Amino acid sequence: MRSHDAADCCADAVTGLAEAVLSEIADLLDQFAASGAQSSIDLSGLPMTDADREKLAQRLGRGEVQATLDVAGQTDVWETQYAGVWWVRHFGGNGQVISEEIAITHVPAILLTHREDARAAAERLRKACEVLEATTAADQSSAERDSIHA
Amino acid sequence: MREDKTLAQALESRGVSRRAFLKYASYVATLMALPPSASRVIAEELAKARRQSVIWLSFQECTGCTESITRSMSPTLEDLIFDFISLDYHHTLQAVSGAAAEHARTEAMKANKGKYIVVVDGSVPLKDGGVYSTIAGITNLDMLKETAKDAFAVVSVGTCAAFGGIPHANPNPTGAVAISEIITDKPVVNIPGCPPIPEAMTGTLAYLLSFGKLPELDAKGRPLAFFGETIHDRCYRRPFYERGMFANSFDDEGARKGWCLYKVGCKGPIAYNACATLKWNGGASFPIQSGHGCLGCSEPGFWDKGGFYEPLAAATAKLDIGVGAAAVAGVAAGAAAAELMRRKKSAAVDAANSKKKDG
Amino acid sequence: MDLLDFARGPALQIGLYVFAFGVAFRLASLLLLPRLKDLSAARKGAPGAVVASGREIIRRMWPQSVYAEATRFTTINGYIFHLGLAIIVFLGTPHILFLKGLIGVSWPGLPTNIINGVAVITFLSLIAALVHRLQSPVLKAISTANDYITWLVTMLPVATGLLAISHLGWRYETLLAVHILSIAVFLIWFPFGKLMHAFLIFLSRGTTGAHLAHRGAQL
Ligand code: SF4
Repeated sequence: MRSHDAADCCADAVTGLAEAVLSEIADLLDQFAASGAQSSIDLSGLPMTDADREKLAQRLGRGEVQATLDVAGQTDVWETQYAGVWWVRHFGGNGQVISEEIAITHVPAILLTHREDARAAAERLRKACEVLEATTAADQSSAERDSIHA
Repeated sequence: MREDKTLAQALESRGVSRRAFLKYASYVATLMALPPSASRVIAEELAKARRQSVIWLSFQECTGCTESITRSMSPTLEDLIFDFISLDYHHTLQAVSGAAAEHARTEAMKANKGKYIVVVDGSVPLKDGGVYSTIAGITNLDMLKETAKDAFAVVSVGTCAAFGGIPHANPNPTGAVAISEIITDKPVVNIPGCPPIPEAMTGTLAYLLSFGKLPELDAKGRPLAFFGETIHDRCYRRPFYERGMFANSFDDEGARKGWCLYKVGCKGPIAYNACATLKWNGGASFPIQSGHGCLGCSEPGFWDKGGFYEPLAAATAKLDIGVGAAAVAGVAAGAAAAELMRRKKSAAVDAANSKKKDG
Repeated sequence: MDLLDFARGPALQIGLYVFAFGVAFRLASLLLLPRLKDLSAARKGAPGAVVASGREIIRRMWPQSVYAEATRFTTINGYIFHLGLAIIVFLGTPHILFLKGLIGVSWPGLPTNIINGVAVITFLSLIAALVHRLQSPVLKAISTANDYITWLVTMLPVATGLLAISHLGWRYETLLAVHILSIAVFLIWFPFGKLMHAFLIFLSRGTTGAHLAHRGAQL
């Protein structure tokens, strides 16, 4: 029998929620496979214990893709061993998990580059090129000058 | 001040990408218990939004609420909210003071007429013409009315603003009232707590910003996302409550073993707040986890509920003398009634006897 | 002041005052009544008053065999809800804490789910008592408003308590307030209705026993 001593007695209790979530994921994956309907489950909104979460993570396992993002703190994304089932874990500023979801999709939105970001990046790249051209031009002319002097 | 640039444009130069918006949006969706699909909408709306002008009024308060919201910040995701809003007036935080500060307030009101949000912490004293709390010579009552007139919404932050709080506690010498008792023609959101959970404040503001409307509220004007369940509903000590394992004092075996704190006055069963799930200081702990019962600080009149260490089941009125007096009075009345009966009886006996004699 | 504040404060206060006054009044007015001295000599071999009343109280705990069948339901069902009520009131932790606030002493309680189970049984037993009363022609004929009100004020705390612990209907604080208010009503009705039997039943049975023994009735 487990003792009641630990103050956080229930962090390691298994409630059976992992199994429930698992079967919901299976349903959603069926739909995604059949019609391409994407969906997600907010894990942070469920009263899961740490043990439940651990169990679910174990059941789902890890698949081919893993990514670490550095977006206002860390975010971990991985595809589980079931293709199309992704785990997205957002960390806050102090390394605490602030939001966690299962996404049933081709690829989680957070991984995609937004067009607006691309536009801003293009601008920046343009500027960088201009700067580069300008500096190369300057380098060249100074090199020419040097060779004349030589 | 309201700016022309969208938030996305304004933050782009600082390296805040759309991914950050998306991440912030999933954070808000989680906080507000919205479906994950809502986070895309939130992200898009936030990116399109302009910085939201916020005027923060501090009345009869202790600055704990401001402390709480600013403590939610280590320059990270959680405080992106401070990039989304423009805190145009907050007399504790702003650099300028006096006439310049009041000028900033009136300017912001003019520039954002009908669109700015007024955040209030602290209650408003009404007694004696409101003289007990003034800023720049203006009473809190006048300043609140004037500032809220053209606001889009009012957010009462902290139990003092939401329900009167500590200034309102017995005997309420200044006649303090809640903001919602003064502002009756505008939506007022209450985010009580002493202080409120920072995420409840920032989450509600972010919701207002992205949806342009109030989140779902309970009967006391509190966002259901944070105040929909009691502490007791989500308390990790609940299994001990069910099993009847209680701490009887703060240093007994039960207390050391982390058993339920009901007997030592926990008000968790009637306190609606998110402490048990969101916790405090970046998820470090919350009062019950640290061994103290819930005070029920997010409830109206929490200061006057018969003592923090009195169990919820106990009567709150002082009874001993009254009950004793009632019992004594009862005995006296009973004795009088018995005496009455005795007299009636002996009168009847006398009457019968005299009849017999006469007869 | 919200409903719960009212219930925990003034309502309980008034309820307890009326209860204390009423019970003291009823007991005093009864016990202080002049009693005729029994001048007859006790029968030979009759036990003393104390022993005789004690015996009678015990004897009446269970019906005589001639009546056993006819009163079986009333007896058993009566025991069930009386014991149930006693367990809930004196061994439920919140109730112990309430009593502690009044009398200053406390004792260990039973786990919540056991109390819940007992409460459900008590609830059903009380329902059965009412149904029986309404179905039995004799019982129905001799029932007065007093009986029905007494049943109701006993039932209400049980029913509202069950609702409160299972969070059914309203929000918990409202249910708790209603539960406490029902206790206040119970306390107010107690001294003036049939609930007073809690104080009087052993008194009357004991007196009867002593009286009968004095006269030499062999029971
Ligand atoms: S500690 Fe308080 S909130 Fe937690 S289970 Fe006990 S009474 Fe409920």
